[in-house]
Amino acid sequence: MFVPHSEIDLKKMFEELSIETLDDLFKHLPESLKLNNGLDLEPSLSELEAISYFESKEALNTQNLICFAGGGHYDVYLPHTVKTLTMRPEFMTSYTPYQAEISQGILQILFEYQSLICDLTDMQLANASLYDGATAVAEAISVAINKTKRDEIIMSSGFNPNTKTVVNTLIDQQKFPVHYISLDENYLFPENYEFTEKQAAFVISLPHYEGTAQDLTNLVSKAKEKGLVSICYIDPSMLGILKTPGSMGFDIVVAEGQSMGSSLSFGGPTVGWFATRKDFARLVPGRIIGESRDSKNNKTYVMTLRAREQDIRREKASSNICTNQTLNAVGSTIHLSWLGPQGLQEIGYQAIQKAAYMKSQLIEHGFTISNNTNSLREFLIQTKNDSSQIIEKMGARGFLAGIKYSEKEILTAVTEKRTKIEIDSFIQNLLEVDNV
Amino acid sequence: MYSGGNASSLPLVGGKAEPTIKQLSKPGRRASRFPKLDVPEVEISNSALTSIKPTLPEVSEHDLVMHYSRLAHRNFAVDLGFYPLGSCTMKYNPRFADFVASLPTFANSHPSTPSKFTQGNLSILFELEHYLTEITGMDCATFQPPAGASGELTGLLIIKKYLQENNLQHKNQIIVPDSAHGTNPASAKMAGFEVVEVSTDLRGMVNIEDLKDKVNENTAGLMLTNPNTGGLFEENIVQISKVIHDEGGLVYYDGANLNAIVGVCRPGDMGFDIVHSNLHKTFATPHGGGGPGSGPVAVKNFLREYLPGPIVIKKDDIYEWYEPASSIGRMHGYHGNFLVALRALVYMKLLGKEGLDELGSYAVLNARYLSSIVSKVIPLAYDEPCMHEFVASVKNLKKSHKIKAYDVGKALLDRGFHSPTIYFPLIVEEALMFEPTETQTVDTLDDLAATLEIIIQELQETESSFEEYPKNLPVGRPNELIPAKHLTVNWGDFELLEITE
Repeated sequence: MFVPHSEIDLKKMFEELSIETLDDLFKHLPESLKLNNGLDLEPSLSELEAISYFESKEALNTQNLICFAGGGHYDVYLPHTVKTLTMRPEFMTSYTPYQAEISQGILQILFEYQSLICDLTDMQLANASLYDGATAVAEAISVAINKTKRDEIIMSSGFNPNTKTVVNTLIDQQKFPVHYISLDENYLFPENYEFTEKQAAFVISLPHYEGTAQDLTNLVSKAKEKGLVSICYIDPSMLGILKTPGSMGFDIVVAEGQSMGSSLSFGGPTVGWFATRKDFARLVPGRIIGESRDSKNNKTYVMTLRAREQDIRREKASSNICTNQTLNAVGSTIHLSWLGPQGLQEIGYQAIQKAAYMKSQLIEHGFTISNNTNSLREFLIQTKNDSSQIIEKMGARGFLAGIKYSEKEILTAVTEKRTKIEIDSFIQNLLEVDNV
Repeated sequence: MYSGGNASSLPLVGGKAEPTIKQLSKPGRRASRFPKLDVPEVEISNSALTSIKPTLPEVSEHDLVMHYSRLAHRNFAVDLGFYPLGSCTMKYNPRFADFVASLPTFANSHPSTPSKFTQGNLSILFELEHYLTEITGMDCATFQPPAGASGELTGLLIIKKYLQENNLQHKNQIIVPDSAHGTNPASAKMAGFEVVEVSTDLRGMVNIEDLKDKVNENTAGLMLTNPNTGGLFEENIVQISKVIHDEGGLVYYDGANLNAIVGVCRPGDMGFDIVHSNLHKTFATPHGGGGPGSGPVAVKNFLREYLPGPIVIKKDDIYEWYEPASSIGRMHGYHGNFLVALRALVYMKLLGKEGLDELGSYAVLNARYLSSIVSKVIPLAYDEPCMHEFVASVKNLKKSHKIKAYDVGKALLDRGFHSPTIYFPLIVEEALMFEPTETQTVDTLDDLAATLEIIIQELQETESSFEEYPKNLPVGRPNELIPAKHLTVNWGDFELLEITE
């Protein structure tokens, strides 16, 4: 399959190599290692057979669940224009753009990607993508540790539990303990928190995982006074209505970029955004694209500041990242350009208006929202019964109700895609499955 | 000569530079339209909100489509021509996999959806684990690592945790060959190990005597790819594994070169304890201009409980998530690059036993043939039978005509081929590393060798500077030092002056 050789081709190649069979290629391998009977696998499928095989796998999934789950991944409308342009084979099947002369397409898009992210977050330098939001948080913490040479991390507890596990895995807890600070009774990071000069990083999410948000300017300024690097994890699809992290004084901005240009994809592939200030340039993980000139003085994009990277610096590199999520970064670029300022503002505004409607309706129907006051597009619904069971029952009725937050709470998210009819129907169904 | 892999007919020859999307922006234009808000509008106040519009370009949809389509025309790709890129396995990416990966319940499932509603997704990972562990000779796998380097780090964290749980914390050294990919030492350091380099012998293989010298009670493990980065099969691999195991260390297989041995032999049988695979290399998922990849890690049973969790298990025909008891934690926010894993399974299903049994053989056949014809033009670095890739060196041409590997690569671009990997492995002077993969025809291989001959002839005879190559592309040879000195990394004209490399 996909091996192109005819009998004539094989004859020619075998003659060139003075061999008679394919096995003759491996005379130098130890006999004991050779697979004499081949692999114990099923026979090949033709494309037609493979269609039914994969459609049968697809049928095992519950179809068309109306998505009220978030936690970093949001059911934002992904336009066909963005999907089809991103999947152009010139982008999809190209290699990392080391050869600038034949990679100006990808290089220019990544330059645009970096620039768009800097504009949106009020930062100066973005890299060309990291794996996802969770690993981007861990990479940002590593930068802060290297920058400050300190070893304690102050992180808000208002993060997706998986993100915390990734941080705890990638940051060596014995050397660099991460202290999680609980949100207060209003689901906000305590404004009176006092930082110390032993701490390397202040890591916080905007909005918090629980859906609440606050202006972080004062906290960041207090952290800065003690010499901490402040790291903001943002929800990109809310950037049209939130103050920029740069204006709040943050040093590093990271994001789970799925909602900008990638389908939900069961969590991957998506893209991790990373942007910072210029004085952090040498510590930035991953690839950076810069504008240069060619031998004829034409504008030319190239990979730059390469001496941070693993293929040159080996064990002294700023990160081990090599392959990143370029195609998803291409998706982010095209999606952001498609949205424009009005579009990005509109998806944020519609999401919080629809969430406000949903919360008011839930309350009217006797439900309690744990964090009604400060929450925006995402909030905690208190259930009377076990929340896992409620999520399963709602699933049977065609709704992905949200993410289990506690035994009796569900974290529910609303995007601009949800309609009043879907919201009303959700509440009606919730009333029916969550009774005492 | 005609060949399917020669892209010299492409209208890549650009006139002007393409403007940026920002330069195409005019106030008031927009591509996006949304339904009207269908709920009653209320006043929402929160100290984090602003009514200031975000800074983004304002373009029409047609301008947007033309801009990004023109940029597509300024990019080389597997779908356009031949990439003989060593260590990158740029094979054909079946179009059919795009179709499967875009089926709605795969593409649109939220990662938090309970397993009850995503049995199809879990079954994909379960089935892929079966294929991958059979191909590599391992027992179980995680699909969380989103790329090879993340797979390496996963493997090293598993080694670390395993040693800790067995009270062997003093073992803090990872041995890496001097020919290894840069990610190996970088990952080892990230995992908190000390990196010890082992040398390569004159034949191009791990220097066994040096290895024995470097191994001691502090050895935590060895990272190795086989075939190695010179494209040679480490014939003493069983002995190498034994040297490490005898000292209580673990042996890690870097799957960058797995394509050479699929269906021929298996890392698990060579003594490797942990194996990562690059699905974007061996299993034909598109490289995406630098990603997404996928770097699943497979282990022997005694390491199963250390895998990042959760992993998929099957109980009475129901697929479930299982959290390994001594898990190292998580390498990704959710389940890794699921859609990439799905594409890899599509490829494996299309090949099936017949195709996978012969995959490595044909990859080696193409490389061995190409090495034979290229060696008539450029000397090879090692006088050994190559596997899926080989290294040639222009160090003699550098001495005689000042022709560098870089110049040969750039001249190839002009003639419709991507450059081979250059200056790698680091231990070979003026290295050109070729990996044809099994999906190119013999005509394309002949064409590449003939083109190399023409180029070398031309470079030897030319009166002009090599700086002029490439000549037929949208841009010429870039000055790669300017942006590092005067860093322009966004269109805000921000310059970071006086950066010295």
